[in-house]
This record gives sequence, C-alpha cells and structure tokens, in this order.
Amino acid sequence: MTADALTALLPFIVLSAAAVAVMLAIAIRRSFRLVFWLTVGGLLAGLSTLPHASPVAPLQVTDLLRIDAYGLFFHALFLLSALVVALLCLAYFRRRENENEEIFVLLLTSTLGALLLVSSAHLAMFFLGLEVLTISLFPMIAYSVRASRPLEAGIKYLLLSGLASSFLMFGMALVYGDLGVLSFEQIGAHGAELEQKPLALAGLFLILAAIGFKLSLVPFHLWTPDVYQGAPAPVTAFLATVSKASVFALLLRFFTAAHAERSETFLCVLGLLAVVSILAGNLLALLQVSLKRLLAYSSIAHMGYLLTGFVAAGLLRRDLQTETIAFYLAAYTVTSLAAFGAISALSDDDRESDRLSDYAGLFWRSPWLAAVLTLSLLSLAGIPLTVGFVGKFYVFAVGVQAETWPLVATVVIGSGIGIYYYLRVVLTMIQPAGVGQRVTLHPAAGTALAAAALVILAAGLFPQPLIDAAANVPQPPPTADSP
Amino acid sequence: MLKLLCLVPFLPLTGFLILTCSEGRLPRAYVPWIGAGSVGLSAALATSLAFELMTLEPDTRVFRQTLWHWMAAGDFGVDFAFYLDALSLNMLLVVTGIGFLIHVYSAGYMADDPGMARFFAYMNLFVFAMLILVLADNLPLLYLGWEGVGLCSYLLIGFWYEKPENGYAARKAFVVTRVGDTAMALGLFLLFSQLGTLDIQEAMSRAGAQWPAGSTLATAAALLLLGGAVGKSAQLPLQVWLPDAMAGPTPISALIHAATMVTAGVYLIARTHALFTLAPEVQTLVAVIGAITLLISGFSALTQTDIKRVLAYSTISQIGYMFLALGVGAWSAAIFHLTTHAFFKALLFLGAGAVILSLHHEQDIFRMGGLRRSLPLVFWTFLAGLAALVGLPFTSGYYSKHEILLTAYGAGSAGSWLWAAGTAGAVLTGLYSTRLLLIAFFGPERTPAHRHYGSNIAAPLVVLAILSLAGGLAKLPLFPALPETGTDQAGGSPSLLTTAAPFLGVAIGYLVYRTGTASAEALLKLPGSEALRRLWFSGWGMDWLYDRLFVLPFVVLARLNEADAIDQPYRGIVALTRLGHRLLVPTQTGQLRRYAAGMLFGAVLILAVGVWA
Amino acid sequence: MSSAGVPHTDLWPLLLYFELVLVVVGTMLALPPFLGERRTRRTPATEQPYESGIVAVGSSQLRFSVRFYLIAIFFVIFDLEAVFIFAWAIAFRESGWPGYIEILIFIGVLVATLVYLWRIGALDWRTPRQRGIEATIHQ
Repeated sequence: MTADALTALLPFIVLSAAAVAVMLAIAIRRSFRLVFWLTVGGLLAGLSTLPHASPVAPLQVTDLLRIDAYGLFFHALFLLSALVVALLCLAYFRRRENENEEIFVLLLTSTLGALLLVSSAHLAMFFLGLEVLTISLFPMIAYSVRASRPLEAGIKYLLLSGLASSFLMFGMALVYGDLGVLSFEQIGAHGAELEQKPLALAGLFLILAAIGFKLSLVPFHLWTPDVYQGAPAPVTAFLATVSKASVFALLLRFFTAAHAERSETFLCVLGLLAVVSILAGNLLALLQVSLKRLLAYSSIAHMGYLLTGFVAAGLLRRDLQTETIAFYLAAYTVTSLAAFGAISALSDDDRESDRLSDYAGLFWRSPWLAAVLTLSLLSLAGIPLTVGFVGKFYVFAVGVQAETWPLVATVVIGSGIGIYYYLRVVLTMIQPAGVGQRVTLHPAAGTALAAAALVILAAGLFPQPLIDAAANVPQPPPTADSP
Repeated sequence: MLKLLCLVPFLPLTGFLILTCSEGRLPRAYVPWIGAGSVGLSAALATSLAFELMTLEPDTRVFRQTLWHWMAAGDFGVDFAFYLDALSLNMLLVVTGIGFLIHVYSAGYMADDPGMARFFAYMNLFVFAMLILVLADNLPLLYLGWEGVGLCSYLLIGFWYEKPENGYAARKAFVVTRVGDTAMALGLFLLFSQLGTLDIQEAMSRAGAQWPAGSTLATAAALLLLGGAVGKSAQLPLQVWLPDAMAGPTPISALIHAATMVTAGVYLIARTHALFTLAPEVQTLVAVIGAITLLISGFSALTQTDIKRVLAYSTISQIGYMFLALGVGAWSAAIFHLTTHAFFKALLFLGAGAVILSLHHEQDIFRMGGLRRSLPLVFWTFLAGLAALVGLPFTSGYYSKHEILLTAYGAGSAGSWLWAAGTAGAVLTGLYSTRLLLIAFFGPERTPAHRHYGSNIAAPLVVLAILSLAGGLAKLPLFPALPETGTDQAGGSPSLLTTAAPFLGVAIGYLVYRTGTASAEALLKLPGSEALRRLWFSGWGMDWLYDRLFVLPFVVLARLNEADAIDQPYRGIVALTRLGHRLLVPTQTGQLRRYAAGMLFGAVLILAVGVWA
Repeated sequence: MSSAGVPHTDLWPLLLYFELVLVVVGTMLALPPFLGERRTRRTPATEQPYESGIVAVGSSQLRFSVRFYLIAIFFVIFDLEAVFIFAWAIAFRESGWPGYIEILIFIGVLVATLVYLWRIGALDWRTPRQRGIEATIHQ
C-alpha cells in the first residue's frame, strides 16, 4: 500500500472514521446537536480530502477500487447531498431530539457505501458497496418506528432488496462461472466474445435486473412509491438521490468497462427499459394525490430519460455519454433534494405532509418554501432557466444526434405528460386555501433548501461550470485498453 | 460626463423597483418624491448631457455607450448599448423634461387615489422603457423599449381596472397597436436577414450601400416599419385606439398619449430615415397618410363633446402633421413639431385634467362653461396651449407647423396638394380649438367648479405655458443626425396663406360659437348634416367598419367552431393518457408478493430479450 | 474453471435432477386427494395438524421477546467478524505489519461497536419496566 493509494483512499477512511466517531459520541453522551455537528464535520472533512485525492487519480488501489476523476465528481456530489440530508434531518427530528442520533451514523455509512460503489472496479466491491449502502438504508427507511408506514416500507425494501441482491449474486456467479474473472477490466477483456457466451451474458442481464431494481426501472419499480411514501422525508430525499445516482454511475462504469455498452442487445434491452419506464412512470404519476408517490413515479420516469441518454450517447461517443449522464445525474440530484427537502421542511417525525391537499395555498402560507418547491418541480419538468432543462436538453440532443427516434419520441411524450402533473402541484399551491396559517421554517431546512434552489437556478443560467466538471470526467476504464 | 448617460434610463427604473418592491408599505408621502424625484434627476442629468453634447463640434455629436453584451449566439450578437446623437438627445429632453413636469403634476392629481404607488411605479417604468426606446443602439433593444412602452400604456389606460370599460379600452389599444408591432417585428427581421446586422447605424449605412433606391426590399422594409409607426402613432388606418385610450388618468393622456409614446412612430421613421429615402413611394405614402389623418381627425375633433376626446383627435391630427413632414423629407421639422407638440399638448391635457378635477370628474364640455372666471390660471395657460396648437404667430406651434407646410409646398408635384390639406387642417384646428375654448371657458357656468388643485398642479401648467409660447425659439440643431430640411421653402403667397389659415378657423369658430351668427344648431338643421356629424363623431365609423370587417368574421368563425374540431385530437390525447393511467393503476397493489413477482417477470423478460434476441 | 463454458453434454445429470424434483413434488401434491380420507364433512379437527395422535396445545405462532432476535443478530455479526480475525491469524507472518495494523483497526471498530451496544443498553436483558423497578429499589 503506497502513500498515493492511501491518499486516494482518504475520502473512504475519513468517512469511516467519522461514522465510528459519531457512534462513540452517541455511546458517551446523547446529544443531537453534537452528533449533527460531528456528522457535518465528517462530511466536510471528506469533501476536503477530495482535492488531495484528485492529483493522484486515476489510480487503481488493489483490485477492488479505482479512484479517478469520474468517481471523485460523484464523491463530491454525494458528500454535498449527504450534507443537505443531514440538515434536513436536523429539522425533521426537531420534535424528538436526543432519541434520533443514530440516523446520522446510518447516513454516514450509507454515504460511504455510495462512495465505494462509484469507485468500485470489481464485482466484489460492487456487491460490498451496494450492500453497505442498502443495509444502512433499511433502518433509515423504517426509522420512525412509532408509525406503521415506515415499518411497512422498511420491510418491503428489505425483502425486495434481498431478492434483487440474490439476482445480483447469481448473475455474478454466472459471470464468474463462465469467464472466471471478477474485475471489470478483465470482464471487459472478454468483451468481444461475450455474445458467444450465453451464461456470462445471462449473468450480466441478471446484474442488470438487480440494477434495474435499485434504479426502479419498470418492471422492477413496484416498490418505489410505497417505500418513498413510507420513509421519513429526508431519507426519501437520500434514497431518491444518492442511492440512485450511485447505482447509475456504477452502471455506466461497469457496462463501459465490460464493453457491453456497444452491444446491440444491451442497448436494445436498455432502450426497452427506458421506454416502459418513461411511459409507465409518467402515466402513473398523473393523478396521484400523494406528493411523495407522485415524485416517486416521476423519478422512475427520470431514470428512463437518463437511460435514454445513456443509450443514445453510447451510440455516439463515450465522452459525450459520461458528460450527459454525469450532468443529468447531478441536475436530478440537486432538483430532487430541493423537492423532497421542501416536503421534509413541512413535515416532522410525527406528521408527514404528504397529501397534495397539505400543499393547498402554500404560496400564501410560506412563499419561499413554495417558491423552492415550484422551482424544483419546474426543473423536474425541464423548464428553461433551471438546471433540469439543461439536463433534458442533453438527452434530447444526444437522442437526435444518434437518431434514436423511438426513444426521442418517448421522451417527448413523457415530458408532455410530466408538465401536467408538475403544474398540478404548482396550481394546488396557489389555491387560496389556508391563508393565514403561516409555516415556520427551521433554519437548517431553510439553509438546505436555499442552497439547493440556488444551485438549480445558477446551474440553469450558467451551466458551463457544471458541464465542465461533468465533462472533465475521464473514461471509467483505464486508458490502456480503451479503444 | 457623457458616461453618465446610462443613469438617465436607470434612475426611473430604480424608482420603479423601489415602488414595486415596497409593495405599498412605503408611506404615501414618500411615493411622489421617489416617483417624480427619479425622473427629475434624470431630467437634470439629461440637460447637463445636452450642454455637453451640443458644445462639441457638429460632426462629433455622437456618443455610444455599451453597457454589456446582452446575448451572443454565433455571429448574432446583441449589445446592451445606448446611442446618443442630436435626435435621441432631443427625445431624451422631451421625455425626461415633460415627464418630470407630468410626474410633479400627478403628485397633485393622484393625491387621493388609493393606487398612487402603483401609478407612479408604472409611470417610472414607462419613462424607463421610453428612454430605452429612444436611446437604443440596436434594433432588438429598440423593440424592447417599443414593447415596453406598449405594455405600460396598456397598464395605465386600464389603471382604474374596476371599471370594465377601462379594461376594454386598454385591451383595444394593446390589440390595435399589436397589429402594427407585428409588422414592425417583421420589418426588423427583414432588415436583419438581409443586412446581417442589428446595429441601427450600421444597418442604415449597409442599406444605402446594398439597396438601390426604390428597390423592392427597401420598399418592403420601409413599409413594414411604417406599419409599426402608424400603429404606435395612431395614424390611419390604426388610429382607432387613441380616443378610447382617454379612459386612463389624465396625466397618462398627457405623458403617454400626447407627448411621448404616440410620437414614437415619428421617432422611428426619423431614426431610419435613410431607409425611407431609399423607398420614395413609401415616403410619399407617409405624407399621404399624414395628410388624410390630419384632415379626418380634425373633422372628428369638431364634433366631440368629451374634452379629452377633443384633445385626443387633435393629437392624432397633429401627429398627422409630423407624418406629413417626414413624408416630404422635412425630418428636422417633424422632430421640431414633435417637441413643440409635446409642450402644448401636454399643457392642454394637464389643463383639462385640472378642469376635470375641479368639476368632480365631469368631462362633457357642454356641462362646463364660464370656467374663465372660476379657474383663471387654468384658463390663461389653456389659452396659451390653444394658441400654440392653432399656430398663432410667434407661439411655438407656429414655427414648427409653418416650416412643415412650407416644405410640403415645395415638395414635388404632390406638394401643393399636401400643402393644401395641411392648410385646411390648420383651419380645422383653429375651428375646433375655438369651439373648445368658447364652450368650456366662456358662457354661463353650468357646473359649479371648486378650485381643487395646489401648487404642484399649477407649477407645471405655468412652466408648460411658457414653453408653449416661447419654445419655438429653442430649436435644437439636429444636423448631422438628420439631414437638413430642404432650403427651398416657399415664400410669398403660400406663406401668407399658411399664416392666415388658423385665423380663418378661429374667426369661423367665433362666429359660430360666440356671436351665434351661424349657430351650430342652425347648421345641424341643414339636410344631411346630422348624418355627417354622427359620422365624424364616431371617428368616421372606423370602429364600426373594423367591427364588421375583422371582429365579426372572427366571432362568427369562433361560433362555428364552438365544438372545436381542432381540439378533438387533443382531447383524444387526454383521454388516451387517462386510459393509460387507469390501466396501470392496478399495479399499485401494495402487496409484496406481487412486487416480487413483478421483479421476477422483469428479470425473465430481459433475459429472454437479451439472451435469445 | 474453463473459460470455454460448460459443454452441454455435461449438463444432463443436472437436467435430470431438476426433472426428478419436479416429478416427485408433483406426485406428492397430486396423489393425496385420491389416497386420503374422503373429507365430506369439515370439522374443527380436520384443520388440526397431525402430531402423532397428540392434541396440539396453543398456537404455533408464539411471540418471542424481540431481545432474542437482538442477541441472535449480535451473535451472528460478531461471530462473522471473528472469522476475519481467524483468516488474518492464519496469514499472520505473510501479512506482516500492514496486516497487523489493519486488523488492529478492524478490532478497534468492533470494540467501538461493542461499547456503543453496551452503552445504549442493547446488551441489557431486562425490559424497560424491569429496569425502572430496579432503579426504584436501588434508591
């Protein structure tokens, strides 16, 4: 283990240390504030290590991990997202402080899992990262044990996640059984003959099924609305952003490393999943009365858009693919954080503000909160001047350039339906109802929302810096064997 | 010092922002100070800029200020840039100077109105937009200002929006001017696509180089711009909105619908005069439009009973003179008349406003009368304004109108006809002015007047009266921004006739409305005269005509399409979407075993597609 | 492991096995309705599980205290972690100082976890009510 390798691993080391430290702090003295600040400190320390790690990248650390700019971009994204979620948690659990410190430990470990996932270069690390992320998520989802909904959601996620993991495990076993290798690079070395190896191919498709579950692509999506609805709002925010983005980032890394992204069959299957996800997600979101369910279905549709970009850009150029995916993921993460953050700011441990009727007249009760929620919905709908527009523009642009017309048509139809239900929420907020009952915004939630809204606007108006950050991402596989 | 130019428009903008953002929380007493103060500061600034610019050599009286690059896409770049030459300086002074006086006046006029802060906010926004319009260095910026003043006009005509007629008038003004604006936008696109530049000066010089005189493209471009100009300046055939626009508060009528915005069309043509020179037919058309408009609106003004409508028709008629001047190439005379008209028409409107205020919002001149005694200050200032309007010698209106008519006389074969129309118009002007004066200010008192104004109303009246009388001496030299008006002005008998025409009108008016030698009632007994009166009263039935020509067919078409055939496919899409939703809803069972089965199904599906495809 | 894939001829025992499983299970499920007692009449006894003639007592769905599971989970976790320590112990010399440091960190994390569990009372067998009673006794 060289000094360089240790430097490259610093984000993980710092985050793990922070998790242990937070746990010990809870053991010594239960203080919600203290634990919160420790968590924030840990996340900031993790962020501060990224500039140190980036000069040594790209670097292969053991067989398992690969630290490169691609991964570091997502590290930064996830650490910042976790910071926002931590702020949201502080506001969300304001009623019962000093009973809920463990959420921060779980937040740190799940963030660690996400970081491991995007940097993994080996199927074993893939599995480990995914499980660290997922297992931390179970208790987070079921965190508010007094209510039945979170418990139900937690159990559902646990069981279905177990099922998905078994798919994943079996798929990996098949790949190993047929090819005898586990690292992405070595799988990629077999890339050309993959079509002639049905077992390995079946393994890859089973892995894809497991990824499809995590990304809640149709038909693996059924858990999504129930779990989103049941989980406490900050956890939903985390689930919708970090969990999904990390798995998608890995999908890109894994399938480009395995040279599967140029296989007709894979693109065909991914395109199919994208089309049904966009259609089913948007159609099901149409008349939902629960905002969280609505956003859950909208996230299904957005994963479909992303997959469209993935397929179309994959047909064109690899750097364009990374740029499209990384930018869209960042845009989607920021926007979802703002949307679920707004829900979280209106909710607390005892009462989730989930039904659309809870939002009637929000513009009169809390104009700023309503403005942030509106902004995030507009960004999700892809209205110009928001970051969501730039993301969707990428998807359109690559779709048109690659001439994948069925996919482009689906994206157009999906976006059209999408505008209806996003605006429905906005209209609900404008209704002159409940005027006078002002909402008091917790300063932590306010800070988090303001930051997210600012990024949505700033990156919507001046997307170039974010594009540069996303585009500077080098190819996930080592440069040596990329064509 | 010239660098302060950008402050001139941005001061009113600041005022607008302050007034808007304070959402009425500002104490009422501060509102006029901010509203009028911001415009006053920019007026002071504009004056000092004027001294600075005019002391330069005539050939270097140009200042260009680029604030920032607005947008850039390929070779299509737009700067946020201002262009100051003698022409825009003239407009700058009119807009800020008259604007300031009217703001001061409004402080008194609107003192009791609950929406005062909103009023001043709109006014400031208007001044900002108007300044952008006159200072614009490129076509998009000019268009921005053009639409901005249109918006403010809409907002201010409908200022008292509780009354549906006001909203209707505002809408009418907006829609009618929109017809012209569309033509103008097309013209701008044409200029850009053919000349490849959006910079006004650059476009004019390129037009001169690329297009021979009388070429189709030049004619088309000039025609389209003329469309915009007649819409904004209420000339034939788009003049119908201006009389209805009098629904707004009187200071608005003075500022927007007399002094500044309605003359934007004149400014536009003057600014693009190089283009019109290239299209002589269109230029002649401008003159003809002006001549016809000044005549028909003069007749209409004769029959109106509402004091503001009389003035509105008079405004249309006076702008007709400006168009006439533009059409015969008397560019600087047009701008000169624009300036003097701004003085005396603003004065007349403000005077009318003072009358209306004192009579508790009575606008019918036949219910007025005897105001000479009850409102002496208003009477004398109003008299000064009318004198300038009529063009009595040595008032400001005399100089400008005289120059226009004499240039027209010398302009080609059609010149004498144009001159005749203008001179006839001058007779008409004298006639309706005398009628207005005699009915409203002389005779018995029909409605008791309560003097209901303070110094902030009186002061602007006095200042404007002085300007109306003496403003003719202060003509800003417009060369080289505009070419010199031809020196071949006719002298001799045409000059004499032109000078005499207003007196003729005044004399007829005196005979009809004062001595009763030929009373109006007696005239109306003549056969056909009642029908004629009604035709003139309704503005030559233009509204009726447009109703039949455009509105009615449209309404009929809309009725026919009530079931909306075109909508059906869209409804079908909605139905399809809802159906899709209903079909998919049963998947949300909440049952874990179904979810697991779904996943299994999906895995089998992608395996099947993937491995055996 | 051959990278050429498994020849299809080697697969037939596995296929035969699958088929046999299907046949056996199918038979077991298909035959009883024909072989068993004709159930013309349903009595409470019909629904009872057969326990070699002894009548069943109570429900099979007992409610265990959740602490059993907690302890079980702790056992599983710490037991599994011990396996890693064994793996290190076997390769003690080969892994050298880096291995030693790594396992120290590993054990350190385990200890931290244990401290945490101990402090939050997860190892305390008593219910909260019992704890409360004891607290009053100690006063």
